[in-house]
Amino acid sequence: MTERKHRLAVDIGGTFVDAIAYDEQSGKITVRKAPTTPAAPADGVITATRATNASLEETSVYTHGTTLGLNAILERKGAVTGIITNAGFRDIFEIARGDLPSGSKYDFQYRRPELLVKRRHTVGVPGRIDHRGKVITELDHQAVIEAGRQLSERGVESVAVCFLHSYANTEHEEAAKSILTKAFPDLTVSVSIDLVKEYHEYERTSTAVADAYIRPILGRYLTDLEDRLREGGFDGSFLIMRSAGGAMTSEIARLSPLLTVFSGPAGGIAGTISLGGNTGRSSLISFDVGGTSLDACVIVDGTPTEVYEAEIEALPIRIPVFDIRTIGAGGGSIAWMDKGLLRVGPRSAGAVPGPICYGRGNTEPTVTDAALCLGYLAADEFLGGEMSLDGEAAVRGVTKKLAEPLGMSAERAAASVFDVLLARTVGAIREITVERGLDPREFSLVAFGGAGPMLAPLLAREMEMPEVVVPAAPAVFSAWGMLMSDLEYDVGQTVLTMLDDAALAEMEGVLARLESEADQVLATQSVPAEKRVFLRRLDLRYNGQEHTLSVDLEEADDQQSVAAKFHDQHRERYGHELNEEIQILTARVRAIGLLDKPSGHLDADLDSGLDGSESRVGERYAFDFATRERRLFPLYERRLLQPEVEIEGPAIIREPTCVTIVHSDQSAVPDHLGNLVVR
Amino acid sequence: MSIRPKLDGATVEVIRHYLNSTAEQMRRTLVRTAFNPVIYEVLDFGISVYDRKRRLISESSGILSFLGANDFAIHKGVEKVGIENLHPGDVVIINVPYWSGAHAADAMMFTPVFGEGSDLPDAYLAVRAHWMDLGAKDPGYVLDSTSVHQEGLILPAVKLIKRGVVDPQIMAILRYNSRMPETIIGDFNAQISAMRVGERRLRQIWEKFGLAEVDAAIDMIIEHGAETAREAVRAMPDGQWSAHDWLDDDGVSHDLIRMAVTVTIEGDRFTVDYGDSDPGVPGPVNIPFGSTLSQAKNVFKSLTTPETPANHGHYQPLEVICPPGNLFHAVYPAATYTLWSTMVSFELINKALAQGMDHIAASSGSDEPGFMAVGTHPDTGEMYSVSNNEGIGWGATPDHDGSNALQHLSTTAVRNTSMEVLEHKSPIFHERLELRRDSGGAGRWRGGLGVCREVKWLAVGELLSMKKKTKTKPWALHGGHEPETTNTMIVWPDTDRAHRARMERFTMQPGEGFRNFSAGGGGWGDPLDRPVELVRQDVMDEYVSVEQAEKVYGVKVEADGTATATGARQSHQPL
Repeated sequence: MTERKHRLAVDIGGTFVDAIAYDEQSGKITVRKAPTTPAAPADGVITATRATNASLEETSVYTHGTTLGLNAILERKGAVTGIITNAGFRDIFEIARGDLPSGSKYDFQYRRPELLVKRRHTVGVPGRIDHRGKVITELDHQAVIEAGRQLSERGVESVAVCFLHSYANTEHEEAAKSILTKAFPDLTVSVSIDLVKEYHEYERTSTAVADAYIRPILGRYLTDLEDRLREGGFDGSFLIMRSAGGAMTSEIARLSPLLTVFSGPAGGIAGTISLGGNTGRSSLISFDVGGTSLDACVIVDGTPTEVYEAEIEALPIRIPVFDIRTIGAGGGSIAWMDKGLLRVGPRSAGAVPGPICYGRGNTEPTVTDAALCLGYLAADEFLGGEMSLDGEAAVRGVTKKLAEPLGMSAERAAASVFDVLLARTVGAIREITVERGLDPREFSLVAFGGAGPMLAPLLAREMEMPEVVVPAAPAVFSAWGMLMSDLEYDVGQTVLTMLDDAALAEMEGVLARLESEADQVLATQSVPAEKRVFLRRLDLRYNGQEHTLSVDLEEADDQQSVAAKFHDQHRERYGHELNEEIQILTARVRAIGLLDKPSGHLDADLDSGLDGSESRVGERYAFDFATRERRLFPLYERRLLQPEVEIEGPAIIREPTCVTIVHSDQSAVPDHLGNLVVR
Repeated sequence: MSIRPKLDGATVEVIRHYLNSTAEQMRRTLVRTAFNPVIYEVLDFGISVYDRKRRLISESSGILSFLGANDFAIHKGVEKVGIENLHPGDVVIINVPYWSGAHAADAMMFTPVFGEGSDLPDAYLAVRAHWMDLGAKDPGYVLDSTSVHQEGLILPAVKLIKRGVVDPQIMAILRYNSRMPETIIGDFNAQISAMRVGERRLRQIWEKFGLAEVDAAIDMIIEHGAETAREAVRAMPDGQWSAHDWLDDDGVSHDLIRMAVTVTIEGDRFTVDYGDSDPGVPGPVNIPFGSTLSQAKNVFKSLTTPETPANHGHYQPLEVICPPGNLFHAVYPAATYTLWSTMVSFELINKALAQGMDHIAASSGSDEPGFMAVGTHPDTGEMYSVSNNEGIGWGATPDHDGSNALQHLSTTAVRNTSMEVLEHKSPIFHERLELRRDSGGAGRWRGGLGVCREVKWLAVGELLSMKKKTKTKPWALHGGHEPETTNTMIVWPDTDRAHRARMERFTMQPGEGFRNFSAGGGGWGDPLDRPVELVRQDVMDEYVSVEQAEKVYGVKVEADGTATATGARQSHQPL
């Protein structure tokens, strides 16, 4: 039998596919990139996989993060989708909630984005359940068949089924599903209650629609990719990353395609959590800065806040996701003058044409061009020297477009671009921390993505955060997080009852049932019984309030202890508690199938093309934010740094895909696990 | 233009982001802690941050009209309390309609914020949210009051919190004057939490940049806003245009009420005069001047600087005129409870401008066609009060069809209420909610569709119809058509009691109900110029009937989906 010593994780991004291979025997990691291939996404994945030189036959687990579903929705390239709902309510999806996205509130000629479902593909069928789950009108089975026939004839490939109050009684949706599946084997069917067990008919419908819309294409893609991996000799577990962290088998992903849509950012957060676990840090803020956007997420006690209300371009999707705050600012964001004020973003130069320094025709200065002006990037070092940058053009652009109108030097103007970007970022981080009663000064900032390590030390100073941790291979950290993920499965049920001991006793039955459902799912994913862990939670709120807080439920809990946890959490988050009854809205179970993880030392082979043992490889002038002046910065090669040997700022620590900037009042220390800690 | 900076344009921008984030953090805190679905579900609130001169520096909605009214109320509030009487930790509440620019239920609270060592406030934070019940003559909304004294407890700029300590006596008055004391106290706490977050944030900004520097930045932010708005007004043609529209009645009598406006653009000045409207009326449709100002500001913002977060500067070119005693300038003791007559007048400025500018859209429904249900819930024995703001078809524009079933232009951040939530909280049951075919005004670009909603009561309770424009239709532009159907609510449909509701309330028995039809938007351009393929698609999607396609658009669509132009099109000269 072949020895299975490799674990592989492959993450598709907008421009690159990142692959990371871990050799469990040597502890060595290999990182490779390949261009994304939008026309045939599996091609880029296979190319990146091969580039790691890890033998597929010797690979035990292959974890994959894909944005295919997300892109299909954004680009309207999903299946022809239909809706079956209650008679008289076919327009629940189109009527939606009637509000405009917050940036458009004064746009009195607002045009709605193209709907995922045409009205001609929506059908109502007789049948009605009330808010208590009581059947008021029986479901007309013949009408369901007729609806399926009509939609099929009109070219519909995939159907979303959502009936009013199905969270209170699933009977009609289940019946419709089984009728449709039997009568129309070529139709794929997504049922709202399989995805969301909570009230709000529009949000349940839109979730089912998004699911139906991507289900056929994601299924085809995963099958194709898996076949190609198997042909290459792969015989291990093929896992897909979930939006709320954790991974699932490809079989589950085919059944629950929606759980993949936010898997990209989830990888970075999974990586942050695992970094926290390995280094004994429990309060972290992840800080992922790429070309066009910046994602931040708060992690308390090793657990990120989850929300059940994600959105894709105003389309609500009620699946568990990490509470990630995204702002439209990154390396490619354009800086411009607006009547004397310096703005950064929201427009981005993207990968094409990209910043001025890429020399592809853009003349508007970006954050990356400002970084060149400040001396943080050098023309001949970008992407490990694979791509050369036009530094003079960047300086010219910053001078002409920003420095001259502002009446300052190019360097000051470039520093101002960073100041403005930072102010937006500080606002975003405050919105997700201080408003919850959390103090950013008690958090470590974990920086990754191409531009994260360059900006994070500045942000940490601004918010008085004690340290920045830059993980090994920060530009592919998301793939690393995928490598570190367990199998996870979430299930929940709306209960709507007041919290008392009788209700808790009743919850025991509900939770046990949810647990056995989740247990079944782990069993089908071949998780041995001793590796299955279940977490019980209740979503609680003050009677009369809408927003809930999630409280972990332990065996010894009674009404009093659960109430105390809830009051504490409410006070922590909102600054007060109330003398009100507490209501249980939802019972939830998270099932975790523990996987063996890479542990200990990482030896990153990053192919930097440099050798020699002296880590200090040069020096250059750059802008120091501590003194706000130009200074000579020693230049270090990250992979040559000695663990636990402190480097005094100012310093530029470079690696093939990014730089960490240490200002003169800071210092950096590599730890034994390959992380760089800036304080 | 060049601003001569005391601070550079980058520092100003940094401070601007910090100030905007302050309002946003207040909003997030309010939504997450509120008790009242009208706040957390419908987002019926407005948050504003002011500098020491009470100039708007940042805001977060909610309801657009709340924001503009806050600007008016903050001046009145400080004037009434006396600036020298404001102390750190104070919270003042104001709901006198003529001062606060809203009806009594939409009370505004504000708190002064003091910088280090300041004797007078350096900034103010204001939160206006809907108070579920302040003891007006009827539960829910009051639709037929004839005096402010029937509209709820009046709080004439009084301190609810003095130097950080809640006044138990005033709280007792509030509690005992409300039919829903728990809800209002819960919401009160949520609003205080939001203000405290804002206060902490402002102090941090002063500490970081210095009070004087922040002042200088605010001057520049406001001047920047003013210049952007002036530039936009200068780009509009000079001229003077008038328009009028009709309000059904005042809820007490049955006479149409004329609402009129004259807009004058001269260089970078934009003047709106409502003086030609009818005088004030006995019923509660009168509009406090703060509310008139607010609607003009919202429309002005949409025409000039729609994409930028608002500040005081953005409204510099705007002047609003209306003599006291007019419908648009209510004076004591005029009833103003249903001041959402501004929803009918909201588009008047656009209607006037359309005569001189061609990038204006046709009318977007011009009414709030929603409903409210109030009563005692048979399951809990407690009072309920639920409401829904209905979707409206928006007007067609010069380059696309009007959107279907969106909220009114003046409440674009508001959401409709989920049917499942409505049925949980009140004993009502939905039988239908669908788009209303053929309700969009025909045109080269078609108006958006309104909706039809059918509801019945399962236990005795009250229905409130909010409608104010059922007798006249939304307007169209450039040869487009008005919608063929109107905005109506039929109470007790399909019975011999069937009644076409105006703004009024009804007692509903179990099994009784209503059928509500909201208006579609006006059309833009001649429907005979609409491409045949678009008409065919509309028929396939049942936005337009086969009959209307043939009769109005001159396109015959067969059962197999093929479409041909009729004789009407052939004889028509396209533009």
